[in-house]
Amino acid sequence: MDEDAGAGGAFDAFTFTATWRDYLPIALSNLALTIVTLGIYRFWAKARERRYLWSHTRFVDDTLEWTGTGKEMFLGFLVAMVILIPVLLFIQFGAQAMAMRGMLGLAFTLLLASYAILLYLYGVARFRGLRYRLSRSWWHGVRGGSDESGLRYGVSHFWKTLVGSVVVALLVPWSMTRLWNERWSGMSFGDRTFECNVTTSGLMGRWIMVMLCPIAGALIAVILAAAMYNGDPGRTFVVTAITFFTIYGLMALAGIGYYAAFLQAAIGDLRLGRVCFHFDADSMDWLKLFLGNIALVIGTLGIGIAFVGYRNWSFFIHHLGASGEIDELHQSTTHVPRDAEGLLDAFDFGAV
Amino acid sequence: MPSTSAQSDRPEPPALTGWLYDGVTSDRRAVTVAIDGDMLRIVDGEGAVDTVGFGDLVPLGDHARIVFGRVGREGWRLRLDPLPAEIAARLPRQERHGGILDRFPIVLVLIVAALASVVGLVALMQGAAFAARLVPMSWEVALGDALVGDLGGSACNAPAGRAALDRLVARLALDTPVKVRIVDLDIENAVAMPGRQIIVFRDLLTNARSPDEIAGVIGHEAGHVANRDVMTGLLRSFGLSVLIGGVDGGAMTASLLASRYSRAAEAAADDYAIHALDAARVTPAATAAFFDRLAKSEGGDAFATRAASYFASHPLSADRRRAFLASAREAGRYTPALDAPDWRDLRAICGK
Repeated sequence: MDEDAGAGGAFDAFTFTATWRDYLPIALSNLALTIVTLGIYRFWAKARERRYLWSHTRFVDDTLEWTGTGKEMFLGFLVAMVILIPVLLFIQFGAQAMAMRGMLGLAFTLLLASYAILLYLYGVARFRGLRYRLSRSWWHGVRGGSDESGLRYGVSHFWKTLVGSVVVALLVPWSMTRLWNERWSGMSFGDRTFECNVTTSGLMGRWIMVMLCPIAGALIAVILAAAMYNGDPGRTFVVTAITFFTIYGLMALAGIGYYAAFLQAAIGDLRLGRVCFHFDADSMDWLKLFLGNIALVIGTLGIGIAFVGYRNWSFFIHHLGASGEIDELHQSTTHVPRDAEGLLDAFDFGAV
Repeated sequence: MPSTSAQSDRPEPPALTGWLYDGVTSDRRAVTVAIDGDMLRIVDGEGAVDTVGFGDLVPLGDHARIVFGRVGREGWRLRLDPLPAEIAARLPRQERHGGILDRFPIVLVLIVAALASVVGLVALMQGAAFAARLVPMSWEVALGDALVGDLGGSACNAPAGRAALDRLVARLALDTPVKVRIVDLDIENAVAMPGRQIIVFRDLLTNARSPDEIAGVIGHEAGHVANRDVMTGLLRSFGLSVLIGGVDGGAMTASLLASRYSRAAEAAADDYAIHALDAARVTPAATAAFFDRLAKSEGGDAFATRAASYFASHPLSADRRRAFLASAREAGRYTPALDAPDWRDLRAICGK
């Protein structure tokens, strides 16, 4: 390997060499096959998409390689369904049946337990989804992975999410950064373990902005109402609509601002051996990505949805950087997971 | 990491050059390769020799940038640059969509898959009605008991009202034994549940103008029971959710509680009700008027919201009203479904 690449500090480590024309046949045939198979092809479509995207993503001197298959993702999904269906059936039917029989207390308790199980499993799913992706990602003949099952991470995810979002929403940045650290510290590439110790510094301000949006929106509503209210129902509707859109618009913008800062900090703190990662997408970049995706899908009457994964990956790689020195890696000895992203997919959070 | 060069002083005439990852370390080694019959002889910069049979080489990536993997050696990757024509000629066909799909033209695959999906959906919709009749009634009763049970405290059981309801059901002399209960919820609706159960919600009873309307509604729901429509609906929604991949619990519940039957199933249930009313000498005009009232109230008053729940599960049409009206014979033939004291008792069944 050319060692000069890593010697001088920052280097343009990641490049994305795909072109949309090149990807077009894959996008269109994936979309068409997914539609005519009532969605069953989507696992194979995802595998094919990743094979293309990974093979057009270059790190330093060579491209990545994706070796995951549609079949393993399909099977992983089926297994996850077997786990989730009993819980979902209880939530949909069991609780109702018990309530109708007058066992309200027990039904409520079991319903809460079911949601707790789902929250726990979602944490496990996020861990395993990342573990799976790393285990199928190769570079220089070496892959990543994890020696952990994610069951312990699930426990941590469970209580930190509850404390962060439900009890005191102000602790959301704390739970997000801690969970990010725990997730990545359990991952490795080759024989090196990822390290991450990101803190909430610089994130609290942005998160408080998000929390303040409903208050700001309410203030705007009061001012608008005072200025415009005249008892006319039409006018009332307009004021309500403006307030509604203001609150949600502000929250979305502030949310993007927070998320952009979070990912910059979180990826910026990630290290593998002597390689440090960077991510420089700011709020405007994210906003442009989202609006671009929406415009693409609407402008093509939905067909453009086949390109959203491509755009997201391109965005991610474009803003991802690395610096430091690359040491020789030895092959990963981690267990090769067979569950793919089944659980994560079952939760419908299967991002790229 | 040692810097390597392709210098080799071995006298091997048609030497091909390339690089190799051995799958053990991330070290990228420049190699020279000689073709020796069915074997590749690979020599690295330090003179180490390895031989690989053609049969063990797995071409990966697209043909423009082919890389070879090796059977049984994960991460082993060999690239020849340029790829000699004699090897290119031996490559298997490029994989595109994966597996069996590549053996046929994509358009043919799309058409066949689309047809198969349509046939599958039609078979499911038609087959569910057939399959529902094969489900033993004892299973359906068990399912109904599991789902609804004894309704706990929400069933209305005032003894006089219960006796009146029993008399009303007995009067209809249905050929299918049904279990009719009134549930104390302010919903203007009635549903057939699995296991020959019919539930009439309180508001339907209190808003009815005569016992004849209730007789018509019970007759209609009994039609669904007799035709096994409840089981058909369950099987359909279950089959659909399995087919589309993913359990939409919400849709399943909805299909159970607000069972949307096909138009044909509604017409058949109406037919059943008309015959039951006729045999019991209860006027069908009341049921027609009841439908009429629901239809007219669609203007947006408070009644409409309550009526909406009935519309959602029992789509009305002028044809259906007409069918009830058309079945009416001379007025002298009919007597009220319940006498005045019974009707009063029935309306007071929930103790209100």
